[in-house]
Amino acid sequence: MAYEIIIINKTGGIRMKKIIEFLEKYFVPFAGKVGAQRHLVAIRDGFVAIMPLILVGSLAVLFNNLPIPGWANLMKSIFGDQWNSFGGTLWNGTFAVMSLLVVFTASYNLAKSYEKDGLSAGVVSFASLLMLYAGSAKDWAIPFAFLGAQGLFVSLFVALVSTEIFVKLMNNKKLVIKMPDGVPPAVSRSFAALLPSLITLVIFGALKIVLTDIGIPDVHNYIFTIIQKPLLGLASSLGAALLVVFLLHLLWFFGLHGANILLPITTALFLPLMSANVDAFAAGKPAPNIITSSFFDTFVYMGGAGSTICLLAAIFIVGRREENKAKAKLGLAPSLFNINEPVLFGMPLVLNPIYVIPFILTPLVLTLTSYAAIAAHIVPKTIALVHWTMPPIISGFLATGSVMGIALQLVNLAIGIIIYIPFVIVSEKYAKDSEINTSKTLNM
Amino acid sequence: MKRITLVCGAGMSTSLLVVKMEQAAIKLGVEAKILAVAEAELKHHIENTDVLLLGPQVRFLLNKYKAAYEPKGIVVDVINSIDYGMMNGEKVLNYALSLFK
Repeated sequence: MAYEIIIINKTGGIRMKKIIEFLEKYFVPFAGKVGAQRHLVAIRDGFVAIMPLILVGSLAVLFNNLPIPGWANLMKSIFGDQWNSFGGTLWNGTFAVMSLLVVFTASYNLAKSYEKDGLSAGVVSFASLLMLYAGSAKDWAIPFAFLGAQGLFVSLFVALVSTEIFVKLMNNKKLVIKMPDGVPPAVSRSFAALLPSLITLVIFGALKIVLTDIGIPDVHNYIFTIIQKPLLGLASSLGAALLVVFLLHLLWFFGLHGANILLPITTALFLPLMSANVDAFAAGKPAPNIITSSFFDTFVYMGGAGSTICLLAAIFIVGRREENKAKAKLGLAPSLFNINEPVLFGMPLVLNPIYVIPFILTPLVLTLTSYAAIAAHIVPKTIALVHWTMPPIISGFLATGSVMGIALQLVNLAIGIIIYIPFVIVSEKYAKDSEINTSKTLNM
Repeated sequence: MKRITLVCGAGMSTSLLVVKMEQAAIKLGVEAKILAVAEAELKHHIENTDVLLLGPQVRFLLNKYKAAYEPKGIVVDVINSIDYGMMNGEKVLNYALSLFK
């Protein structure tokens, strides 16, 4: 990186430089490899592809259950007693079946990364997944319970394994049926995929038989109980949240897209927690989880990673250098939508040893305060998914269905500003001092 | 027509840069088609790309994209962090243009 590391003072600066050099040598390439890892990328892209649907489903549930007094009665008077079936229908097709959706999208993306037929791979994975469901013999039903977030782990496993098998088979020239040139591409593609599809499906059919024989007729329930539930229990803890927030910002400090690199893991862990809250809210029951996907986007990453809306506000309050104020103005509009690369790379915050402390500390503190506020029942739990670009204030209301969500955001904003202010002052003083030193040197 | 594609995480921060680059292109009198896409969508747009520029926060994808797209004759590089942070459309456009052979 063509950056000069700003040295604060001789001893502190050299120690900081050594830590940064060590991390750059070992941590950054590792993180880069993780961020580019084919399967994690496929999972991430798979989730990204279904985000619009999940958001719609979540909003539909919120719409059905807006905690505004008289809302339900108002809706009933306009639309009749079944007014909330519309929202329920939207949820049924989206949030409720996310495991079915993501097995296709993750599989498609993985196959595409191998430059193979994503459509065929996706369809085969979808079929393989359906084979594994413990259907109810009574009415030919697939259990709705595991079509949503609860079935995610099995879906992701099937997507990756089925596609890997499929792609390896597609690479085997002997298994690919070639059609003569005159045949339309769509037809020759599906013939090419015929034998690999057949073999993959047979493998999963056999797997189902083996599982049933060894006493696991319902693999979804099994995986959920043995793996997913304990893992989610860990993920919903304050410690896990703090660890995720720390790692994410450590990555950003090195100019790596923390959110993107961690996305496969954070989505797989926090989306089911979110889903449990949405389901509980829809059923009129108390939501179980404090930590969810929208917890972070709403109360911690305000203005983007580093809670940088607090930095911008701090600059406007105590900043005196024109350069800083100009940069803050440049970054303000996108920051309102939590997009802050102009701030991260423009200030810069990346590799900045003065700002590194508030950059990592503020989100950690806000995670604590938000967790505490919700645990103390001052602020309700997040019960709706909001897109990460939803501006603060609006997101506070949408995520919790309550103005207390907005109140928490304002309190967090104030705390963040207080943390950033001293560092803005130090940073400006340092910049001024080095200007004076430079001009002294030049005048010699 | 010079076709430049920018890629970052969600295609949002680079889309800010696209507007500035288009303004710079008009000023320079260069005919350029500039697009900003999310990582996840890149494969759909790569056919219509001559130069691919990565946001610095996804520079860890450089080797992967170089291996995949340089054989197709596409030039792949990373946007300078400071130019990116300051959303300097002119500097990034000039850099992109310099990559055309």
